[in-house]
Amino acid sequence: MSVDLSVNIGGLHLKNPVLTASGTFGYGREFSRFMDLNALGGIVVKGLSLEPSRGNPPPRVVETASGMLNAIGLENVGLAAFIKDKLPYLRTLDTAVIVNIYGQTVEAYAELAERLSDCDGIAALEVNISCPNVKAGGIAFGADPQSAHAVVAAVRTRSQRPLWVKLSPNVTDVTTIARSAADAGADALSLINTLTGMAIDVETRRPVLANVTGGLSGPAIKPVALRMVWQAAQAVDLPIVGIGGIMNTIDALEFLIAGAAAIQVGTANFINPSTAVEIVDGLTRYCEEGAIRRLSQLTGSLVTSARE
Amino acid sequence: MLQFEASVLWNAAVSEDVYHLGLTAPSDFGRARPGQFVMVRIPRAPGALLRRPFSIHKLIFDGGRRVSGFELLYKTVGKGTHALINYRIGDTLPILGPLGSSFSANKPWRRVFLVAGGIGVAPMPFLADRLLAKRLNPEDCHVFIGGQSAADLLCQDDFRALGVPLTLTTDDGSAGDQCLITHPVEAALDRSPPDALFACGPMPMLACLAGFLEQRGIFAQVSVESMMACGMGACLGCALPVRDTHAPYRHACIDGPVFDLDQIAV
Ligand SMILES: Cc1cc2nc3c(=O)[nH]c(=O)nc-3n(C[C@H](O)[C@H](O)[C@H](O)COP(=O)(O)OP(=O)(O)OC[C@H]3O[C@@H](n4cnc5c(N)ncnc54)[C@H](O)[C@@H]3O)c2cc1C
Ligand SMILES: Cc1cc2nc3c(=O)[nH]c(=O)nc-3n(C[C@H](O)[C@H](O)[C@H](O)COP(=O)(O)O)c2cc1C
Ligand code: FES
Repeated sequence: MSVDLSVNIGGLHLKNPVLTASGTFGYGREFSRFMDLNALGGIVVKGLSLEPSRGNPPPRVVETASGMLNAIGLENVGLAAFIKDKLPYLRTLDTAVIVNIYGQTVEAYAELAERLSDCDGIAALEVNISCPNVKAGGIAFGADPQSAHAVVAAVRTRSQRPLWVKLSPNVTDVTTIARSAADAGADALSLINTLTGMAIDVETRRPVLANVTGGLSGPAIKPVALRMVWQAAQAVDLPIVGIGGIMNTIDALEFLIAGAAAIQVGTANFINPSTAVEIVDGLTRYCEEGAIRRLSQLTGSLVTSARE
Repeated sequence: MLQFEASVLWNAAVSEDVYHLGLTAPSDFGRARPGQFVMVRIPRAPGALLRRPFSIHKLIFDGGRRVSGFELLYKTVGKGTHALINYRIGDTLPILGPLGSSFSANKPWRRVFLVAGGIGVAPMPFLADRLLAKRLNPEDCHVFIGGQSAADLLCQDDFRALGVPLTLTTDDGSAGDQCLITHPVEAALDRSPPDALFACGPMPMLACLAGFLEQRGIFAQVSVESMMACGMGACLGCALPVRDTHAPYRHACIDGPVFDLDQIAV
């Protein structure tokens, strides 16, 4: 039986629903030594800003129970170097390249989106309004419905590309932000970004991370992510890209059933660099064994009727 | 192959809290250079999610010149390394590597100092081996090892077998002179300076070396540690400060772990 893994995310056709999450897959090339990148549904590159950024001082990462904290602070090469040094390679790939963008002001987001719109080889923009590790921008826009609306609306007017908006879990009610982003013209929603957290060294009584707080990712956050994907899928009529602690095919299936149309693999890339391609194979097998012709049928297929 | 499953060939204590671990590898692991490292996943360690970085201590040959594996020298410090001691011959461990930069072992050096503090000696036997293979005279490869006490002075037999001069120091005087290893290094630098110095050990040791090497203008490379999540340039977690406080950070896993001493802030 031939299985159709392809999905449509707000007008963007992906050969399969498995992408790699921003900040966990470099600019793609780093992983070409481990896998055929063309097997992926897409690659979301490291968060990009107009100007290069050094990011936060070290230490920046620490392992915690079933996960890790990071406070990279959006270190990135900046727009000019991205276009010159990173994009030409990405263009050679037969997979969707999604650029995760970040700015300190609404105008910075909009300008970045506009300048990227002139470049070939970019399938969509993912607007990061959810980074917990930078002082200005990031979460400052993602925790408030009006600010979220302002950023997304500004980017929408300056770019024709499919627009995904990446939401933060560090909010009281994710559905209000989801609705704002939808109203402002988002084509899809990605969630979740990391949960703000902290670790302390009891010998020195210092925070382990120089930034004091960081973003929690990995298996520890999967139940929270699933719940939020499910809530967002109920609240808005947009495709949802599910992210958070996905380590294997079963995890990916849970997100699809909860309402995600596609998924992103993050922290798992560090532990097993070929996780994402293994999930593509796993999804194919699951469909074959369950006689499912189109994987997209699974999206939102959660059974909530009364138990027997 | 950069990603493979290795079988344990041996895993034995060399002191109370240090073990050497022999692992199989595909023959193309022979491209490994001294100073490079591997990322090891330790599935049996409860709670150790991320891989752990370890320097390549030695290469293992199959009788001839073909590489059939490699050895690690590890100290038990936390959950991952404590679980590692339970791996037995024939058990498997997922490996990524070889990764990172290496010591410049292929230049025609005439006189070299190797300086190690504690477990920082791990990459040194591989380095010494390569240097001697490049025709450095054993008597011109002076090895300095410092530790807290006698039990921390590892790999002495390896260096004796190579016939290289060996200077030891301990903090408690239980072996060698009771002083920091940097004392005899500084004295030897003045007696007959090397044209290169390679070091690995705690930051204070590297900082002290930086102080007196810079004055004398001697080429030096150091291997430094940083917390790592991926080991391959993807997470940007392993940032290291550089001298110029406005310059971008360097990354221990791809720009390092071996750096020219003047490249980073120690
Ligand atoms: C390039 C490189 C090469 C290394 N080579 C060796 C080697 O040859 N032999 C050896 O014994 N050790 C080596 N280390 C250090 C080794 O990686 C850590 O001791 C190990 O990761 C600790 O794991 P754990 O689970 O036992 O400790 P954990 O329970 O994770 O932590 C215990 C302690 O170890 C420290 N630690 C944890 N992860 C790291 C890390 N990535 N780098 C440094 N310290 C860490 C923590 O700060 C903590 O104080 C190297 C580190 C790097 C970066
Ligand atoms: C080291 C690291 C760096 C990250 N950098 C970014 C980033 O630049 N932009 C972004 O939107 N998300 C970033 N994230 C968040 C991930 O894309 C993802 O949303 C999050 O880690 C949850 O997924 P996971 O549990 O599968 O890792 C980063 C995560 C990690 C661990
Ligand atoms: S450890 Fe991930 S970039 Fe260096």
